[in-house]
Amino acid sequence: MISLKNVIKEYKIGDTTLKALDSTTLEIKHGEFIGIIGSSGSGKSTLMHIIGLLDKPTSGEIIFEGRNIAKLTDDEISKIRNSVVGFVFQQFNLINNLTVAENIRLPLLYSKTKPDYDIANYANDLMRMFGIDKRANFYPNKISGGEQQRCAIARALVMKPKIILADEPTGNLDSKTGNEIIELIKKLNKDLNVTVVIVTHEKSVADKTRRRVYIKDGRVVDKYI
Amino acid sequence: MKQAIPLLKASIDDFKRNKIRTFLTSLGIMIGVFSVVILIGLGLGLKNYIQNQFESLGANLILILPGGGFTGEGGSGIGGAALVGGVSFDEKDVNSLKRISEIDFVVPVFMKGVTIEAPREEKFGYVMGINEDGFKLMNVKAQFGKLFDNSDVQASAKVGVMGNTIAKDLFSSPADSVGKTVRLENQRFKILAVAEKKGDREADSAIFIPYKTTYGSLNPDKTFWSIYLGVKSDELVSTAKVEAEKVLLDRYDKDDFAVTEQSELLSTINQIFSIINSVLIAIGSISLIVGGVGIMNIMYATVTDRTREIGIRRAIGATRQDILFQFLAESTLLSLIGGVLGLVAAGIIIIIIRQFFPATLNLFAAIAALGISSAIGVFFGVFPARRAANLSPIEAIRYE
Repeated sequence: MISLKNVIKEYKIGDTTLKALDSTTLEIKHGEFIGIIGSSGSGKSTLMHIIGLLDKPTSGEIIFEGRNIAKLTDDEISKIRNSVVGFVFQQFNLINNLTVAENIRLPLLYSKTKPDYDIANYANDLMRMFGIDKRANFYPNKISGGEQQRCAIARALVMKPKIILADEPTGNLDSKTGNEIIELIKKLNKDLNVTVVIVTHEKSVADKTRRRVYIKDGRVVDKYI
Repeated sequence: MKQAIPLLKASIDDFKRNKIRTFLTSLGIMIGVFSVVILIGLGLGLKNYIQNQFESLGANLILILPGGGFTGEGGSGIGGAALVGGVSFDEKDVNSLKRISEIDFVVPVFMKGVTIEAPREEKFGYVMGINEDGFKLMNVKAQFGKLFDNSDVQASAKVGVMGNTIAKDLFSSPADSVGKTVRLENQRFKILAVAEKKGDREADSAIFIPYKTTYGSLNPDKTFWSIYLGVKSDELVSTAKVEAEKVLLDRYDKDDFAVTEQSELLSTINQIFSIINSVLIAIGSISLIVGGVGIMNIMYATVTDRTREIGIRRAIGATRQDILFQFLAESTLLSLIGGVLGLVAAGIIIIIIRQFFPATLNLFAAIAALGISSAIGVFFGVFPARRAANLSPIEAIRYE
């Protein structure tokens, strides 16, 4: 589904160049449940942003569903982010002046083609499925962290994406709620056959994934040491 | 188009959260639109007023003014007895002009600002020395009493016809003032009549006296500010004008006087006022630009405030154009709110001003004000909106 070949990502901070990803090569197949595991600053979030087309590599090749990303325009990349990718962030990243239901429906606003299903109904189904239907008209700052993350997952799913990218999705939650969220994501991978990539530094989360990719100093390594 | 309503809602929500900031930002545009609409309203009102005054004098009118008059160089001399530039006309000119066959009547006009004293009150007003034909020419009719006639003029009778407003100010009612006396510059005048209200500030606050009566302390030089000629018919106006010029050239140089038809005068007034209006609009526009800069400033702040939100929107699929449109919609709305508030405020002020000054609320000015305020919103919103649109999604989402 997605393949990265010799991807390098460098950041310039003043006169020094920081290599966040160093010749990373990775293959993600449809339906996989992958954990990207590494310590803080290892480059795992950068890798997720590059996979999710939020960021561009300094060099290397990315083939996304058979298309070379380097040849796509910004609008085409935005369209892929809208319809093929769903993001879940550690900070939830909901828009605070929109209600839960409005946040979930927000991706539809940017969809250039009309989906072949009733998105409002689907959003309601997701809210029911995730137990936040009673919070539909609440603003994000009026609901719990677990509910916010469930809302963020519902938003990530509303366009029926092929891949969910979750960056430390349990990082801001207590262990019980975090566990519930991971179980929910696992269920989505199984029931909806959606590809899931979770970035984490927590072993308990990593253990729930089916394949683990270890990152150290911007490189994919055989095993996390 | 499906984006319009959610984006509008997002903008309005943002305005609601920052009510004071929204109001202050719109205030700049509000003041700009307010000034432009008020200035245009006053300019056009004044123009219409002056135009009506001249039109009410009748179409067969020729004005003789000192210097360049209204049409050329030199002063206009309006509003006082002193002649600014050119010559001072006198009785001899009046008599020579009377001999032109195309002319029906000749009205010498003397005008001076004076204090008019009644037994209990005194007011500033104008004394206008004219002859009996002057009433016909200026469309002055008696509401109470009887206007003075030729015999009063020839006899230099100490009589006067009061304008409606000044009669009301000096006496308890206009009707009561007939037969009473007023004093101006230590001379007593018997009031023969009170004129009907004309809606013309100068005429309504004037006292009309026979021009020959002014000869004395009011007009020691026995001169006139201008001479009005009533021509027998429309077709004869051009001939009469040429004849009048010929008569005056016997005594004066070409540059010392101006003989002007009413139509020329109106076109000159139109020209003058279109220049005045342009200047007023230009002055008002400065505040619009200042308001626009205020909007730009706030939009830059908003983009910084909402950088993370922009990142989130980009992450879920918003294109650069979507973000550009969102912020442009917001700045346009902000500017338009200011425009509407300014227009409403200007409308209220114009309605109040109309009680004592002929201001008009011009439909074109109103539409233009709203159009311009939207355009300012777009123009000054483009730079901050472009900055928002060009943010890297990942840098925006990480922004704290």
